Amino acid sequence: MDSKQELDIIDGIRGEVMAKKDLTGENLFLAWGYPTAIVLLMEFAALMIWNEDWCHWLWAGIPLIGTPLMIYFLNEDYERTRCRTLDQNVILMMWVFIGFASCLGGLAMGLADVYKQCLFPLIGFLCGMGCFMTGIILHFRPKTICGILASVLSAVPLFFQNDRWPWQLLITAAIVIIALIIPGHLFLHYVKSERQRF
Amino acid sequence: MSTFKFPVINPLLHSELRLKVMVALDSLESADFVYLCEITDSSRGNLSVQITTLKEAGYIEVSKTGLGRFSRTVCRITHKGRQALHVYEDGLRHLFEQQIPDKDVGVAKSNL
Repeated sequence: MDSKQELDIIDGIRGEVMAKKDLTGENLFLAWGYPTAIVLLMEFAALMIWNEDWCHWLWAGIPLIGTPLMIYFLNEDYERTRCRTLDQNVILMMWVFIGFASCLGGLAMGLADVYKQCLFPLIGFLCGMGCFMTGIILHFRPKTICGILASVLSAVPLFFQNDRWPWQLLITAAIVIIALIIPGHLFLHYVKSERQRF
Repeated sequence: MSTFKFPVINPLLHSELRLKVMVALDSLESADFVYLCEITDSSRGNLSVQITTLKEAGYIEVSKTGLGRFSRTVCRITHKGRQALHVYEDGLRHLFEQQIPDKDVGVAKSNL
């Protein structure tokens, strides 16, 4: 092989990798969005009906449902594409970080007994920021716009304190719908139409 | 007298299949064995040998995940491998830009 042939191989393989790149992760926003919104609504309903301490532990349902769903969809994506791009890895690591930050933040605020004041604004902000960053990386404008909107709205629960605290759950559920469920469905539709096109 | 020096040609990367594997992994975070077979258009046996060579040189990391028929061999390029590939590619581009005749490049490579 001479240098020209080797350079042709390098450019050829790079071009082929780019051409084989497929949009993935179309179900991940929904895998986290629906469990989060449903659990928040269930917690709100439970607090309204029983108003007991155990109701607060319903939040544990979010990682318990979301994590297996996420692993299932990640495996399904990997089975189809057989590779992971640098972009996909950045997005995945960012959401893993957001998940850990939310859990650790929740535990720390629970121990400090301040979770009623600032946990839900934090979760709303992290979801919005993650959605915004994902939209930027994927060049998918609806996610970027929904992310900005959710990040701004994440301040609203701060105005519901003391007796009105449970309403934070309803507002956060609405923020999750804006940050995860709506852009998730839009992205799913976009990915399906792109796959049909090619 | 010319001051031009031939860039060092890495013999590990001067193999078509190994070069293809390295370039594919350089463009990705990770890829599994089946993907590499498809993209390099090579047989499983040949690819397996070349992957072992690259792994022994510390250019790639190989990990096995899952069990039984769900097991998967995943490859990742290392920092050392990425550096070696970029040096090699720069060397090739340098040679190409200098428009050195193929026979001279061949001599330079065989002298290394």
